[in-house]
Amino acid sequence: MTNHWIDIKNSDCILIMGSNAAENHPISFKYVTEAMQRGATLISVDPRFTRTSSKADIYAPLRSGTDIAFLGGMIKYILDNDLYFRQYVAWYTNAPFLVKDSYAFRDGLFSGYDPKTRKYDKSQWGFQLDDRGNPKMDRSLKDPRCVFQLLKKHFSRYTTRVVSQVTGTPESDLIEIYKTYAATGAKGKAGTIMYAMGWTQHTVGVQNIRAMSIIQLLLGNMGVAGGGVNALRGESNVQGSTDHCLLWHIWPGYLKTPRASNTDLAAYNKKWTPVSHDPMSANWWQNYPKYAVSLLKSFFGDKATAENEFGYQWLPKVDDGKTYSWMDIFDQMYRGTIKGFFAWGQNPACSGANAVKTRMALEKLDWLVNVNIFDNETGSFWRAPGVDPAKIKTEVFMLPAAVSVEKEGSITNSGRWMQWRYQGPAPMGDSRPDGDIIMELGARLKALYEKGGTFPEPIVNLKWDYLTAGKYDPHKVAREINGYFLRDVTVKGKTFKKGTLVPSFAFLQADGSTSSGNWLYCNSYTEKGNMAARRSPKDAVNKIGLYPEFAWCWPVNRRIIYNRASVDLKGQPWDQEQWVIKFVGEHKDGKWTTKKWIGDVPDGGWYPMENPDGSKRSDSRYPFIMRKYGHGQIYGPGRADGPFPEHYEPLECPVSKNLLSAQLTNPTAVTYDTDEDTYNTCDPKYPIVGTTYRVSEHWQTGVMSRNQPWLLELQPQVFVEMSEELASLKGIKNGQRVRVSSSRGALEATAVVTPRLRPLKIEGTTVHLVGLPWHFGWTMPKSGAEKSANLLTPSAGDPNTRIPETKAFMVNVSRL
Amino acid sequence: MKLDRRQFLQATGAAAAGLAVSGLGFDLRPVKARAQMLKTQYARETGSICPYCAVGCGIIVHTSRRGNGRVMNIEGDPDHVINRGALCSKGSALSQLVENDTRLTEPLYRAPYAKEWKKVSWQWALDQIAQRVQETRDASFEAKNAAGQVVNRTTAIASVGSAALDNEECWLLQAMMRAVGLVYIEHQARI
Amino acid sequence: MGKSFLIDTTRCMACRGCQVACKQWHGLPAEKTENSGSYQNPADLSFDTYKLVRMKEETVDSRLRWLFFPEQCRHCLEPPCRDEAGDPSAIFSDDRTGAVIYTIQTRNLDADAIREACPYNIPRAAKDGTLAKCDMCIDRVENGLLPACVETCPTGAMNFGERDEILALAKKRLTEARKKFPKAVLIDPDDVRVIYLTAFDPALYYENAMADAGRFDMSRKMALRRMARPVSRGLSRMLRL
Repeated sequence: MTNHWIDIKNSDCILIMGSNAAENHPISFKYVTEAMQRGATLISVDPRFTRTSSKADIYAPLRSGTDIAFLGGMIKYILDNDLYFRQYVAWYTNAPFLVKDSYAFRDGLFSGYDPKTRKYDKSQWGFQLDDRGNPKMDRSLKDPRCVFQLLKKHFSRYTTRVVSQVTGTPESDLIEIYKTYAATGAKGKAGTIMYAMGWTQHTVGVQNIRAMSIIQLLLGNMGVAGGGVNALRGESNVQGSTDHCLLWHIWPGYLKTPRASNTDLAAYNKKWTPVSHDPMSANWWQNYPKYAVSLLKSFFGDKATAENEFGYQWLPKVDDGKTYSWMDIFDQMYRGTIKGFFAWGQNPACSGANAVKTRMALEKLDWLVNVNIFDNETGSFWRAPGVDPAKIKTEVFMLPAAVSVEKEGSITNSGRWMQWRYQGPAPMGDSRPDGDIIMELGARLKALYEKGGTFPEPIVNLKWDYLTAGKYDPHKVAREINGYFLRDVTVKGKTFKKGTLVPSFAFLQADGSTSSGNWLYCNSYTEKGNMAARRSPKDAVNKIGLYPEFAWCWPVNRRIIYNRASVDLKGQPWDQEQWVIKFVGEHKDGKWTTKKWIGDVPDGGWYPMENPDGSKRSDSRYPFIMRKYGHGQIYGPGRADGPFPEHYEPLECPVSKNLLSAQLTNPTAVTYDTDEDTYNTCDPKYPIVGTTYRVSEHWQTGVMSRNQPWLLELQPQVFVEMSEELASLKGIKNGQRVRVSSSRGALEATAVVTPRLRPLKIEGTTVHLVGLPWHFGWTMPKSGAEKSANLLTPSAGDPNTRIPETKAFMVNVSRL
Repeated sequence: MKLDRRQFLQATGAAAAGLAVSGLGFDLRPVKARAQMLKTQYARETGSICPYCAVGCGIIVHTSRRGNGRVMNIEGDPDHVINRGALCSKGSALSQLVENDTRLTEPLYRAPYAKEWKKVSWQWALDQIAQRVQETRDASFEAKNAAGQVVNRTTAIASVGSAALDNEECWLLQAMMRAVGLVYIEHQARI
Repeated sequence: MGKSFLIDTTRCMACRGCQVACKQWHGLPAEKTENSGSYQNPADLSFDTYKLVRMKEETVDSRLRWLFFPEQCRHCLEPPCRDEAGDPSAIFSDDRTGAVIYTIQTRNLDADAIREACPYNIPRAAKDGTLAKCDMCIDRVENGLLPACVETCPTGAMNFGERDEILALAKKRLTEARKKFPKAVLIDPDDVRVIYLTAFDPALYYENAMADAGRFDMSRKMALRRMARPVSRGLSRMLRL
C-alpha cells in the first residue's frame, strides 16, 4: 500500500475491485465504514456480488479477466470529459514526456515484438532525450508525441459500448462508476483503490495495476490522504517477506539478484544504479552501491572486504534472461532437475496453480523438508488418496513450528507498518520457532563445510552470530537488519562510534564502513530503541490518523509515500482539511528562506518547487523520488508487455475474438509445455469461466483454519457458486454436490446457487461464471472429500511477475 | 459511544459489587461467583499481532500462570490504533489455532517408500537435512554457467516460504539459502 | 436503567467475528455442520451457539441485497421467559445490567414452555433440558469489559453501553440510516435491551426478527402485552392455541 489502513477513512470514493476486502481484510471495513459515514461512496466491481458488494453504494459485475477493458474505459472517460487534475498531471507525472518515434501500437501489438521469442525490444519505447540525456517535455501536453496525447490515442478505442460488450458490465453501470470515481479528480478530493489477487492473478496482472495507477495519476490521487494505490496483502508478513526478498529476482531492500553478466561488484553496481542528469530529479536509487555493500557486510561481516568485493563472488548468480520463479520451480521439479526442496510455512500442493502437476513434481524429489504447524497436503503428498506410498522415493522431514504467539519478532503489515510481537506461551510440545530451526540448520551446514566440501567460502564465512544463551535472538537480527557503523566515522557532519546503530539509510556508505541487512529497514532499530515496538496513541499534527509513534513503517517512518505530490508547487496541500504535509518555511521578498515541513515525514525534505512569488527553485526535487526522472509513470516503458495497458483475453477464455484488437491473448504471456500443462480456449468441453477466491472464515490453503473446529463450523466444505440460470441449465439444485472440472483436474464441491452471480452478455452471447474458494484439501476435514480448487487452475502467468492466472480459466460443472 | 478500555473500566467501575441478588431469597452463589471472576483475571497478558491477513490487528494473549502455561483466551487489543479491539472470525478463533490437538509437536520422518511417519529427534532430523543439503548441493554445484560466466550456484535445491515467518526469520532464511547457493528462492508473494 | 445493545445491521458485513468471539469467550464447542447452499452456518441457534449471523439474499426495490442479521437474545426488559419460569434461581434479570441470566437450574423447567414463551425464539435446550442463550457476557461486563461480540466488531454494527446512551445512539443511527434506506427501522426499542436497526422490513432478514413472528401465531400486540405484563403459564398456553 502506498497509504495505510487507517488512511482509508480519509477517502471520498473507495473503489474495491480485484479484492473482496470485507471478506479477506475484514478489519479494513472499519475504515471503509468511517469514510462512508463522512460521505464517501463505496464502489464494488466484482464478478460475484460479495459481502463487500453488500455494503456498496454501487455494485457492478464484470467478467473475470476484463479489468483493463473496464479501467481503460474509465481512462477514456476522464480524458474525454477533461476530468483529470491538470496541474498535477503536467508537473508530477510523465504525461509531458516526449516518446521516441519508434514507439507504435498497431492492432494489439506494440512496436518491437518478436514472435519467435514472444518478447518485446523495449528500447523502441524510450523517451526522446535532450543534449544532457533528460527526457524532452511539453508541459502544455499538446505535442502529438507526448505521453498524454499517446495515452488519449491508445484508449480512444475503449468506448463504453465496446467495454460493455467485453466485460459484460451494463453500459449504464460503467458510466455511473466512471462519473463517480472521476469526481475525485477535483482538487481536495481523494479516491482510493483497494485491490488484491483479483488483479494480480492474471496474465495481464501487472497491467491491471498499471491501468489503475494511470487513473490515480490522472486524478491526482497519489500521495494524498485517502488516495493511493493500495494492494491489500494477504498474509500477516507477506510485506516483510517481500521486503526481505524471499524471491529469486531480488535481494533484501529490492536490490537485484546479480546476473551472470554482472561479473564483479563494480559491474553489478554500474548495471543497477540509474543515472539521471536532471538536477531536479532525486533519483534515489543513485545510492544503490551504498545499500548493496552494506548488505554484503551484513551477510559476511569482517570476512567481507574491499579486496574480495565484500564477498560479492560468493553469492549465486542467475543467468541473464532466465527466470527462477514459483512456476519455474515446479516445472523444473516436474522435469526432475530439482532434487531437494524446502517448504517453510507453505503448502504448495494446494496453493500453487495446477496442483496436479505440483503434486506429481513432488514425487520426483529426493528429499523434502516441510516446516509447518499442522500436517498438510504437501508434507503428506506421498500418502494422498490415490497415491501408492510404496512407489514414492521421496524422503520427507516434517518439522513442527511454533505458532506466532509462541515466539518473539516483528512482522510488517500491508501499510508497511513493522510491528513487534511478544512471546506468550512456550512453543507447544517439541515445536520450535522457525528462527531456531534456521539458526540450527545454518550452524550444522557451517560445521559440515568447515570440514570440507565444494566452494565452502560463502557458508563458512556467513555471519551467523544471532544466538543469546544458545537460542535464536530476534533482537540481534533486527539490529543487523537496521545496520551498524563498523568503524568510527563522520557522515554528513555527524560522528558515529564503531558499533552504534545507523540512524537511517541516509548514513549508509559504500566503502564497507556500515552494514545494513536491509536499507529500507535502516531506522527501524536504532540507538533510540526498537521502533517497531512503539505504542503511542498520539496522532500527528494533521490529525489524519498517521499515528507516527505507533510501530514504525518504511521508509523512515513515512506513512504515506509520494506525499510531496499532495502539495502544490509552493508546498501547500491540495486538500486544506486532510493534508498530509505542508511547507511552513519562512519567506522574504517572495522567496522561501528557511526549510520546514510539517505533518508526515516528507518524501525528501527539499524546498518546494516554487517560491511564494511563483519563481522556480533549482534546489527542489520532483516528488516521485524513486523514479529515475522523478515523475509518476503514466507511461511505463519498463514493463514486459507494453508501456500502456492493453486488454487481452485471459489465456483460457470463452471468446474467440478480442473486440479491441486482433491480438486475442497477451502476446508475452507465460506458458509451460509439459504434458500436465494444458490450455483451452473456446473448448465446448469447458464452456464456463472459473475463478478462485477466499472467504472470511478460512485462510489460504486452509492449513491453519481447516484444523480449527470453530472455523470449520462456519465454512465446512468446498463449494462452487453459480447463478440460478446456470444451475437450472445444468439441472443442479442448491446444496447438491457437483463435479467441477478443467482439462487439468476435477473436484467435488457443494453447489451454492445464488442470485449473487449472474450470467453476463459478452459480445451478444451469454457467458456463465462459477467460483470456488481454494481453502480446502484432503487432509482436513477428515472426510478427505474437500479438495483444492487449484486442481483446476492453469500454469499460465504474467510476463512481468510470473504470477499465475488463477482468477480466470475455463471449467465445466456437472451433476454427480 | 465506544470507549477505550481504560475509560470503560473507569466508567463502569471495575470493582463492581457483582450481581445484586440480595432479596431474591435464593442461593445464587455459583452464578455470582462466576460472574464476578473473569477467567483471565490471573493470566499473563502479552501483546501480539494477528497472523492471518496483513491488516496487522493487535491482539492480547492471555496465558495461564498455572499448570502447563497454555493460552486461555485471545482477543483484540482495544488500545491498538488499527483494530481498536476488533477481530474477524479467524482472529476471534485464534486461541484454537494455538491450543489445538492436531498440531504437530514433534519432528516426523518418512523414509523412501515408507507407508508411515516415524517420530524422530530434532538432533537427528537437522543432522540429516544438513547432510542432504551438502550432498545435493555439492553434486549439482555450478561454478560457471554454459556461457563460462561465474555463477557459483545450485539449481538442484529450491526453497519456498514464507510470509508466515517473522521479518528477522525471513532475513536469516534468505541469507542462509543464498550462502548455500540457491537461486530458486520464492514464497507466497509470487502466487 | 441497565445496559443495552444496538445492533446496526446496516454496518454488518457478516465477518462473523462476533459469532466466533462468543464461542471463544464462553468456551463453546463447534458444531458439525454442512454447507446447505448458503454461507450461513450453523443453520440455527443451539445450546452451543448463542450468537448466529443469519444471512438472506433478497431483492428489494429491484436491487439485490445480502441481508445479515447477527442474532442473539434480546434481553427483554420484561422477559416472558423469566415470567414463564417463575423461578429466579433458574432465570432472572440482573439488577445492575438488566441481563437475562439462565442458570443450571433451568434443567428443572419445562424447556418447551420456556422456548415457546420467547417472542424471538431464542433459548435452546441441551439433551438434559438445561437451557442456554446469550448471557450478555455478564462476567466481562461486571469487570468493565465489553461483551465479546461487541469488542470484536470492526464496523460499529455491535454497540453496547448504558441504556440511555444506546437509545440516543439508536435514534442517531436511525436518522443517518434513513438517508440511504428510507424504510430503516428500530426493532422493538422500548421492549428489549438488544435493539436492532434494519435497513428494510425486519421480516426480510429473519422470520423472528420482530416479536410479532408468525411462529407464535399471535399478533404483535398480544406478544407485546405478554412482554409488558407477566402472564401465568396457563394463560400463555391458552394464548398459543
